Amino acid sequence: MYEEPYRWVEAVGNRRHYLDDQFKTGAPVVGVTYEGGILLMTMSKGTSKLYEIYDRLALGGMGHPADLEKLRFNLLEMAHVEGFNRSASDVTGGRLVKYGIAPVIKQAFEEVFKAPFIVKILLVELSQTSRKDGFLTINYDGTFEEKSEYAVLAATSVVEQKMVEYLRQQDHVSLEDAVGGAIRTWAVGDRVQRRALEDGEGQNEAKADSDQQGTDSEALYAHLRRCLDEKTIECAVLDRHVPGSSKYRVLTADELSAVLPKDLRPTRL
Amino acid sequence: MGLQGDFYQLLKEQGYVLGVPGQADAGRELTTATTILAFKYHDGVLVAGDRRATAGNLVMYDRTDKVLEIDRYSVMAIAGVPATAYEMARILEHSFKYYRRTQLQELSFEGKLRALSKLLKENVPAALAGTGAVVPIFAGYDAGQEAAKIYFYDILGAEFEGVDYAVSGSGSSTIRGILHYLNTWGEQPLSAMPEEQATVQALRLLTSAAEFDSATGGINRDAGLYPVIKLITSGGVRMMSDLQLRSLFESRVSKGV
Repeated sequence: MYEEPYRWVEAVGNRRHYLDDQFKTGAPVVGVTYEGGILLMTMSKGTSKLYEIYDRLALGGMGHPADLEKLRFNLLEMAHVEGFNRSASDVTGGRLVKYGIAPVIKQAFEEVFKAPFIVKILLVELSQTSRKDGFLTINYDGTFEEKSEYAVLAATSVVEQKMVEYLRQQDHVSLEDAVGGAIRTWAVGDRVQRRALEDGEGQNEAKADSDQQGTDSEALYAHLRRCLDEKTIECAVLDRHVPGSSKYRVLTADELSAVLPKDLRPTRL
Repeated sequence: MGLQGDFYQLLKEQGYVLGVPGQADAGRELTTATTILAFKYHDGVLVAGDRRATAGNLVMYDRTDKVLEIDRYSVMAIAGVPATAYEMARILEHSFKYYRRTQLQELSFEGKLRALSKLLKENVPAALAGTGAVVPIFAGYDAGQEAAKIYFYDILGAEFEGVDYAVSGSGSSTIRGILHYLNTWGEQPLSAMPEEQATVQALRLLTSAAEFDSATGGINRDAGLYPVIKLITSGGVRMMSDLQLRSLFESRVSKGV
């Protein structure tokens, strides 16, 4: 029956609704540059959502862990074979996304008899010279966007927009600034998502949360403290100053405690 | 395949072949690399190599790096055909990274040793044909046992632990005896030497090898050419700078050279 164009469009539309539903309770991901590199941040319930891909590439993801693993392996295989056959400099985020996983995700999304990938991906790339660090976001339908300086993943584009509006106003010069800004931005996104869930209507989140309430630091920290009862903060960096070729490292609990906003430091981490 | 985190297997699935055997041309001399050594000192392991690459009686290159850092905690020193040795080093470097990134944990030290052994075994046809023999030393810090270790190999891939030291290359027979003497009857065993003294010994050993083996490059002060010396400790791999080597060479080695 899907051979009729209308049926196919309808099926793809249904699939979009199904996928939007899957992300409603997902944890947002924030990526932001700072003077020493790029910070990736999210909160998780145990299973990590931040990964090293290549010497200067890292990934943050939302969605189904098995789908994320499958695409992560695709990226790892492509990156390492290319890095071996050519050179590390030829392994770029743009090539991996545009000619690698974006077409795969799009194909899976449009093949209505098969399961789509329930994933959203943020790929960050530390450039050889500062100022040109790159951010690529890929949606579940394979569309991708290139950004610079910062990028986020969240349940809907409306939530992402609110997060970016907040993040744009935050300092992110030092690692401490970047961690503080990223965590508060995460809270902005998570609050909007939760409110949308409580309202039962994902489309009303923009009006449900007044800007002032939604971005007040005290309220954001209170929200984060509640989240910390069931989740842990996950931070990883592509650190320009790390010796050797691999620039990825996960911030340890001690490092994180030292750079967390004061309002969050006494919590268990 | 991918789920096992085996990069070499992934390469082979894509048609990659290491060390294609060929017939060595009797009239053609292959480029080879020469004296490398490793010994345990007080803080870990010191690995050193001269800089000369030769083809028969020709000096092909005097700035070869034969002590290759594979990852933050391991080093492969090469003797034999550099083309194959560098390729092996590149495969190992990618293999260790690929394993860490796919499996989300470091490859064990035993796993790293095995990876090199497998490459040497795959390379046997080329080694026996005379076009790709490599006789490496692998040294690294074993986080599991909290100790720095040295292993050496034959061209067939058998691995042997160098309890105190290991040597390889054409100049190695000269310094093997010296290492044995130093370790047995010296003022203190090699493993008790502090970093500076160990470095001085490495410079003296390589200078001795160059004295008796024309295929081992000595120290060339005019050109600022010093051996490559790397130290492996619990903090990872560190390379001695030419400035440090120059200062030690001039104050404690150059006498009579």
